[in-house]
Amino acid sequence: MTLFAVTRLELRRLFVRPLGWFIAALALAELGWRFALLLQIFLLNQVRLAALPDGPGYTDLVAVRMYSSFITGSPLPFGVIELALLLVPLLTMSTLASERSAGTLQLLFASGLSSTRILLGKYLAVLIWLALWLLLAIAIPISLAHGTSLDWGKLAAATLGTFLALAVLGAIGVSCSAFASHPAVAAVAALMAGLALNCVNLGAQLAGVNNGFLNWLAMSTHQETLLRGLVSSADITWFLLVIAVALALGVRRLAADRERG
Amino acid sequence: MNAPNPASPPVLQLEQVVRHRAGRPAVRDLSLRLEAGQVLGLLGVNGAGKSTTLAMIAGALLPDSGVIRLQGQDFSEHPELARQAIGWLPEAAPLWPELTVREHLDAHGRLRGISGANLNAMRDAVLERLDLKDISRRLAGVLSQGQRQRLGLACALLHRPALLVLDEPANALDPVQVVALRGLLRELAANGTAVILSTHQLTEVTAVCDRVAILHEGSLRHDAALPAEQHAALEKTFFDIATHRAQAA
Repeated sequence: MTLFAVTRLELRRLFVRPLGWFIAALALAELGWRFALLLQIFLLNQVRLAALPDGPGYTDLVAVRMYSSFITGSPLPFGVIELALLLVPLLTMSTLASERSAGTLQLLFASGLSSTRILLGKYLAVLIWLALWLLLAIAIPISLAHGTSLDWGKLAAATLGTFLALAVLGAIGVSCSAFASHPAVAAVAALMAGLALNCVNLGAQLAGVNNGFLNWLAMSTHQETLLRGLVSSADITWFLLVIAVALALGVRRLAADRERG
Repeated sequence: MNAPNPASPPVLQLEQVVRHRAGRPAVRDLSLRLEAGQVLGLLGVNGAGKSTTLAMIAGALLPDSGVIRLQGQDFSEHPELARQAIGWLPEAAPLWPELTVREHLDAHGRLRGISGANLNAMRDAVLERLDLKDISRRLAGVLSQGQRQRLGLACALLHRPALLVLDEPANALDPVQVVALRGLLRELAANGTAVILSTHQLTEVTAVCDRVAILHEGSLRHDAALPAEQHAALEKTFFDIATHRAQAA
């Protein structure tokens, strides 16, 4: 299927570019540091926590907190999601913007591929890269699973939430790349859009308002529920909706490219 | 060159094609017909509409109005025809710098639905034919201009298209490679491939084309068969010297 031919082509480009490896290595090193700090905090409080009925364990205090600082409330280094807000735009910036500036986008059009297939093929490649990165990130806390009792259900829900957040950021990044003529412009646009989507409810939360449209619009609202282990179809629908809107905008832009030339 | 077969539809037929770019008419009411085995030279000054015409024929750009038929079928209704029937070399041969020569050909093959042993055979044949075998594992980003151009041509030829669309194919080629390109185009035409060749160089047209069309300000001003080659004797002498055949003799 030609969609997978685009995916394969994009994956190849992602894996041979030093930037992809640099981003992955930097992120994993930072996550390793975060893990060491989380583990240290957990071990210091282990005796006190063991005395509490239904007190938080390794899953709550270490494994899930690898994903995000939103629920840790402490000034630790970035979790997977905070890192992704910064790094995914760098990963996705070249997917279509560099194809446009190099003239290779025309070759894809001339291969008889629809704009939808081109964009979905590219997005799928980004998604595979992000899934591999997430797998490596989660392997760090899972490596101690034999010495502790992991709550696999809660960890699975948190992993799903994190993957959906990465998928949203990837879709925004690919879409921004479809709109931009230069990769740097695409990266800045994706960074701003990702930050805005994540923090749009910050003012409302500071004012003590925990419901309403702005809270619904914010990614952190839906992410937090999943990070706490609660899988809700409303939250998953929100993620899928944002992905669909971002990709639809990207497809529309590519189709306009073909029409306008 | 092959004679047109009245029973089969033309490989390419443009009917009243119009295309605007940046608010200005780039191609106006263009009608053109190309049979299997014909080599059409498309001439025109800069901005005459040659590249826009070729991009529309290749399927990279949509016409504002008019019909493009490939092997008798409306291109707009069957965009997938481009995948099998057209090989396109745009101006400056756009490539992915991170991919090797071999990976380029594989990617182009897969984008056209070719895979497995079939793809391997086609790739090896075109690597051999365009003298790219020795650099097949080299990254496209480090190729010379001439090598880039040959790789672009290899990508266009890989799937053995019925119509080959070439925009300035001799750009950056050395004289020996230009002669090899002419030989290749003649061979393709003899095997029934229709070729459209856009160029600024009249010598290119006189050397390989059997028809010439001239575009000016987006309109077709001339479309006629071309008389016999005019520069053959001079070129033969030059290339005998360039390829050391004269010294050897």
